[in-house]
This record gives sequence, C-alpha cells and structure tokens, in this order.
Amino acid sequence: MTTGFGSQVAAVVRRDLRRERRRGDVLWITIPFGAVALLLLPLAVGTDSVLLQRIGPGMFWLTVMLFGVLVSVGRASVQTQAQRDAVSLLGLDPAAGYVGRSASAAALLIVYELIVGAVAVVLYDIDLVGIPWLIATLLLVAAGLGLLGALAASLVDSASAGSALVPLLVAPLSVPLLLGATQAYEGLRFGDSILRWMLLMAAVVLAVAVVGVITARPLQET
Amino acid sequence: MQSEIPSRRWPWFAIGAAVAASITVAILSPADAVQGELVRIMYVHVPAAWLAYLAFGVTLIASIGYLISRNLAWDRVAASSAEIGVYFTGLAIALGMIWAKPTWGVWWTWDARLTLTAIMFFFYVGYLALRRTTDDRRSRANRAAVLGIVGAVQIPLVHFSVVWWRTLHQPASILRPDGPAIQDPIMRVALLVAVIAFTVVYVSLIVKVLELHRLSDAAHAAEAGEHRPVAGASVTAPELDPGLGNV
Repeated sequence: MTTGFGSQVAAVVRRDLRRERRRGDVLWITIPFGAVALLLLPLAVGTDSVLLQRIGPGMFWLTVMLFGVLVSVGRASVQTQAQRDAVSLLGLDPAAGYVGRSASAAALLIVYELIVGAVAVVLYDIDLVGIPWLIATLLLVAAGLGLLGALAASLVDSASAGSALVPLLVAPLSVPLLLGATQAYEGLRFGDSILRWMLLMAAVVLAVAVVGVITARPLQET
Repeated sequence: MQSEIPSRRWPWFAIGAAVAASITVAILSPADAVQGELVRIMYVHVPAAWLAYLAFGVTLIASIGYLISRNLAWDRVAASSAEIGVYFTGLAIALGMIWAKPTWGVWWTWDARLTLTAIMFFFYVGYLALRRTTDDRRSRANRAAVLGIVGAVQIPLVHFSVVWWRTLHQPASILRPDGPAIQDPIMRVALLVAVIAFTVVYVSLIVKVLELHRLSDAAHAAEAGEHRPVAGASVTAPELDPGLGNV
C-alpha cells in the first residue's frame, strides 16, 4: 500500500462503514439498546414528568457513554489476528489505521446520538436550546468517544477478554466528555457561558488523538 | 547475592517506620478541637491517598521508560506499582468512608474528589485486568505501557478536583501552594512521619512484588524453553503430514 495518509484513512473508514452496513450492529442492536434503556429508566426512578425532564439530558449522555462504547467493542471482537496480520502486510500506516477506525466509530456514534437523542427528546420532553452549540457538543463527544474507543480496542486486540474489557477502560476516561456535555447543556439552559466545557472536550479529543497516533505503531507490534 | 540484601532488609525498615508512625499518631499527636479522636484517621487516610498518587506516578514513569527502552524490567516496575496503587487507593476510599460517616453523616457523597478517586480506582483495576488478558510478555508490556500513560491524566484530576470544583471534601492537606493546611505543629509532624512511613512501606512492597514478577517471568520463560540451548541445524523438527493435524 503506497497511497498517502489521507487515502489510507479513507480506505479504513470505508471498510468499517461497509462492515457496519453488512452487519448492522450499531443500527439494529446498539441504537435500539440505547432507546430501550431510556424507556426503562422511568420505571426505575418514577414517572414524574418534571423529574424526568430534569434528568433526561444527563441520562441521554450517559447512554451515549455506556452504549456508544459498544461501537468500538464490536470492532475489537470481529477482527481476527489473521485479518490484522494481512492489514499489516499491506503496509497500512498504523496511525492512519487508528485515525480511520476512530473516524468511522465517530460517524456511527453521530448516527447513534441523533436517533437516540430524538428518542430522548420525545420521551423526556427535553428543551432543545442553543442548537449550534448542541451540534458542536454532539460532534465533540462523538469524536472523543470514537478516539477513546479505537484506542481501547487497539489495546485489547486479540486479547482473550477483549470485548468485555473495552467498556471498563473507556468509561473512566470518558468522564471529562460526560461532564463537558452535561454541563454545556445546563449552561445553555440557564444562559451561562459554556466555552470552558467546550474547551475541556476539545482538549480531551486532541490529547487522545495525539496519544493514539503516537502509540499506534508500538501497539501494532504486539 | 548482594542484590538480595536490600530486598530482605526493606520489610524491617517498613516495620520500624510503621511502629514509629503508630507511636507518633497514637500517643504524641493531640485530639482535634472539633473532630476529637476521629482526626487520627487522617494519619492513615492521607498517606494512603499520597501512596496512590506515588504508585500511579511511578507506573507512568515506568511505562514511558518501557516504551523508550523496550526493557521488560520497566514493565515489571509499572505493573508492581499499579498493583500497590490499586490497593492503597481502595484503602484511601474505605478509610475516607469510615471518616465521612461520623463527620458528614453519610458513607458516600457525590463529591468531585470522592467520585474521581473511585473512577481512578476502577480505571487501574481495568489496567490490571488488561495485563491478565495475555501471557505474551512483550504484547502485555506494550499495551499496558500505553494505558499506564493515558491513565495518569487522572492523578492531577483527582488532586486538583478540590480546587476546580466546589466540594465537601477539604482542600489538600500538604501538597498546596500556600503551605500545609494543618496549623498544629505536632499534628503536622505526625502526618509527615506517617507519610514517610507509608512511603517506606511502599518501597518495601514494591521490592517484594517486583521480585515476584521477576520470578514469574523467569518461570514462564523456563516453561516456554526460551533459555534452552539450541542445537542448530544438527537437529530438525519432524515434518508432519498436514492432513494429520496435531494427532
């Protein structure tokens, strides 16, 4: 493989999205699972509509963090050692592979956020305030989770307990994203500045991207 | 043989330091004007939290050291320190809960310091779980080193959480820019002695755990025949008929 970095990234994204189109893991399993979780929650905390409207945005972001990780888990569990070896022999730049896997995971997470977000808005009567900022938040969370998930999936590739371990590794590291997203929405609701929360999420995205790119080659050697 | 002497002496240093700390905090240190005898939990809780930072900091440095040098000795240091760090983080959380019940009225509260410490604990449990997923030492070391570096971001998060958020948890007791928060000099000395004693215990433990890891790696290498003599071309493996498989 002698193509440039961008072409390699695009090839990986196409591969992952084609695999999702064939298997439908995110569309037919993860997204319905997230929607079901939002349906079940009122059964646990009560059907007080004021309470549900208050906690709805936080619950939505929590499902994004917990179920969104499954997007990366799916990739870690379907790729065999033989496939990884074949990709290495093709000469794929490990950093391009990481960026491509992160980008495809982020794209799938955006689909997840839009569909499950619509379910949350309907079920919990959530106010949609500051739409441009909400979109920016959705994008940053999707990028951050995609990068974290791809990094965790690289760490556990071929490990015996790989798919079970990814959520345990990603969930603690996604705390700044969860905080940023929930606090940004609260800020929008009450008219406060949300710049610091956006910067926090952007910093996390940047930091994980740098670490993922730098460590892509050592991880491929394993 | 000389390298084994410090390893045997460290437990005695640790016991001596622990006895000195126990006498200082139990007898010399006064009861607090507000909290009374409860304040003595501080002499175990604060050093345990300090050791958590120290242990995970050492894991970070050893992880970087491994990625630069590819020397598995660094990986053993990272693993040993993380194991001890998880233990002391759990201890700090448990002691904090015991302290919280009589002072705050609850075992647990959704405070930034408490929550982030619990998250750090579970993250490093995940780090240790990752290490158990493969027996290939090189693969394990590569993966763990990356995670050890990424996870270290939680150390400043936990420490500065009491500054960045409004928390019920009191600010840092020792590591703060405007000096220690404890006013009584005897209490300060007692806490310092306890911190030093815990640090000696940490060194004692890491020496032992490192030795265990080294022996474990040596046993794996012996099982895998890594150090057996090679006869070279004079001995060749029999070629099996592919159709027979592993019969």
